[in-house]
Amino acid sequence: MSIGKFLVKRLLQGVLVIWGVITIMFALRAVSPGDPANLIVGPAADPEIRDQVREQYGLNEPIYVQYVDYVQGMVTGDFGYSFQSSREVTTMVLERVPATLELAIAATIIAVVIAVPLGVISASRRNEPADYGATLFSLLGISTPNFWLGLMLILLFAVFLQDPMETYLGFSFPQGRRTVGFGEAVITLVTTGYAGDLLTWVRHITLPAITLGTYFTAMITRLTRSGMIDEFGKPYVTATEAKGIPYVLIRYKHVLRNTMIPIITVLGLQLGTLIGGAVITETVFNWPGLGDRLIQALNARDWPLMQGIIVFIALGFVLINIAVDALYATLDPRVTNE
Amino acid sequence: MTDTDDILRVNDLSTRFFTEQGQVNAVDELELRIERGEVFGIVGESGSGKSVTARSVIDLIDAPGEITDGEIWFDDAELAETVREDSPDAVDGSFVDLLSVSPAVRQSLRGTSFSMIFQDPESSFNPSLTVGEQLAEAVEVQRRASANPRSTKAKTDSAEYSFGNLLLSTVLPSQQFVTEESRERAIELLELVGIPDPVERAGEYPHEYSGGMLQRAMIAQALAGEPDVLIADEPTTALDVTIQAQILDLLDDLQTETGMTILLITHNLGVVARMCDRVGVMYAGEIVERGTLEDVFDDHVHPYTEGLLGSIPELEGANGQLEPIGGNVPSLLDHEMEDRCHFADRCPMAMEDCLDHPPEFDATGSEAHTVRCVLATRSYTERDALPPNYFGDEERPAGDKHAEPDRSDGEQPAERTQTTISDAGGESR
Repeated sequence: MSIGKFLVKRLLQGVLVIWGVITIMFALRAVSPGDPANLIVGPAADPEIRDQVREQYGLNEPIYVQYVDYVQGMVTGDFGYSFQSSREVTTMVLERVPATLELAIAATIIAVVIAVPLGVISASRRNEPADYGATLFSLLGISTPNFWLGLMLILLFAVFLQDPMETYLGFSFPQGRRTVGFGEAVITLVTTGYAGDLLTWVRHITLPAITLGTYFTAMITRLTRSGMIDEFGKPYVTATEAKGIPYVLIRYKHVLRNTMIPIITVLGLQLGTLIGGAVITETVFNWPGLGDRLIQALNARDWPLMQGIIVFIALGFVLINIAVDALYATLDPRVTNE
Repeated sequence: MTDTDDILRVNDLSTRFFTEQGQVNAVDELELRIERGEVFGIVGESGSGKSVTARSVIDLIDAPGEITDGEIWFDDAELAETVREDSPDAVDGSFVDLLSVSPAVRQSLRGTSFSMIFQDPESSFNPSLTVGEQLAEAVEVQRRASANPRSTKAKTDSAEYSFGNLLLSTVLPSQQFVTEESRERAIELLELVGIPDPVERAGEYPHEYSGGMLQRAMIAQALAGEPDVLIADEPTTALDVTIQAQILDLLDDLQTETGMTILLITHNLGVVARMCDRVGVMYAGEIVERGTLEDVFDDHVHPYTEGLLGSIPELEGANGQLEPIGGNVPSLLDHEMEDRCHFADRCPMAMEDCLDHPPEFDATGSEAHTVRCVLATRSYTERDALPPNYFGDEERPAGDKHAEPDRSDGEQPAERTQTTISDAGGESR
């Protein structure tokens, strides 16, 4: 099977998944109690106005007509209007995407940059102090809840250390609250040569990214360690040693590369989850991302917005998975043949 | 085999594994002489220490294993010259003791002076690199070694490929370990071992090869370094009988062509008969009988050798039953090994003399024929025989389990060929 065919197959599967998500969302809304019209105009409104609103939003149609309309809208990219603010859902989702993507990618980069070397060290110095340190770190990282870590980091850096850091280092890590986007900051840097915006962005994203990335770092460290130890035990490693090639090649070109194949899958899945909104982290840090907006939508029972966000998340998840599969297929030649 | 000089002299080699159950004496004070250009076979049951012996020679013993004692003298005048400066004690004439030189020097011999063929070709190749690339790596080792002739420390320092090189190679093709010349040579090697369409095949991955093809590729890989000594550890065990014959023919041809020395590890006496000039029968970490093919096949003294030969099925007059050797491979755990003939508990002719550990006696036949059994000096008498239940009549726990830390994924079905003695073929470290 060629890589093209492989991708087409995965894309078709992805379409099915999205359709499933849309349908489930619709069903949930249909069976959930409460009259959406109340949410739009308020419970105290005139019944006539309420009827008008129902008519306007198509809530009086039979359920299958509503479903067809709804799916049609989704397919054409029309997610409807928010009950709460009457703004277009598409806009409300898209304006929050950059913040979420920035956070998710920053957390992933932190995780990979720290976890893979740590895992390699841990695996190559098994049962030595470095290994114990890394193992302890990953245990702590896996068992620390996000919200607690976030609050502690805020307390430490944004409260206690803020003044001393400002005084002695000239910078500090604020609580979050993204004031400038990465894209804008880069554009400013390129066009005007002013790096201040980018640095501000870095300072603002540091704490949330660490909070979000810690669990992930810990997990990848473990996976890398156990994966490498496993891989080192395979006969081909002995056979490669017998060839007499430099040790660095055995460790990285052969063993680490093969270890990374399953880890990349995990990375992709995790990135998908992170895009799904790091709800807790975004809330703790007041980070204006999708997760933050999803909580708002949930609290207001703003169905169109909720659906829009969830379908978008599902879409992101599916696309990332396809990308991971494609990458997997190039890394592991056996995949496409199966 | 015109020369009669030794290329390898192994003295008192002991390789032990330090496991949770205790110390395992996988190879125990082993003596071995291998002549340049010969094919020397080591035959024995699994767990007898034959694989560990081979791996000790090429320095592939991993923790918890360790070479605890002994000398491995390797005849290489050029190497002797290089090493003499740093470690004069490790040099004797043109011989170098591989266990006394620095690890870097020892490591540098892998892939150049010594190569190895493994039992299971499918698991001995990295599944995610092309066969051509993996062969090219082996070629590159040899290329770099000959570009940097051993002068003092040149071999170990300047030829080293560092992490920095590896990082750079992701952007600079010139920093890659494997060069284009090596890739071309890899294709030639594939052709040499009879792989059709070598250019295409070089770009394929191991899973696209059949087992026999892959074993040919592994032989090609081992030849890439133009080794002086080729160690073949059960090279045909994982293959079908017809493919086995092809692989043996190939090895035979290549040996005739290049004049390399082969140390052949096998449990298959048919392979020994087909390939070897001399043979050593290994049991419980020792060579119990050694000599030329005729010595071992026709003039053998040791009851264990007798037992091995008795467990070969015969095609003609195949009405008799196979005679397996009773009992199990002994435990090689240090605290369970007694200072006696290790085979005595399974030996049909065990006598009181066998309670002392026998030295190697000369036996009839060629000069090379020695045997570690008192039967070389006296004959069996009922009067001295040990009572049948002397060692306890209950069976010992399966020695195999303790014998060596097995890599269980290397397990092969045992009875695949007619001349296979009972052996799980477990690959051991």
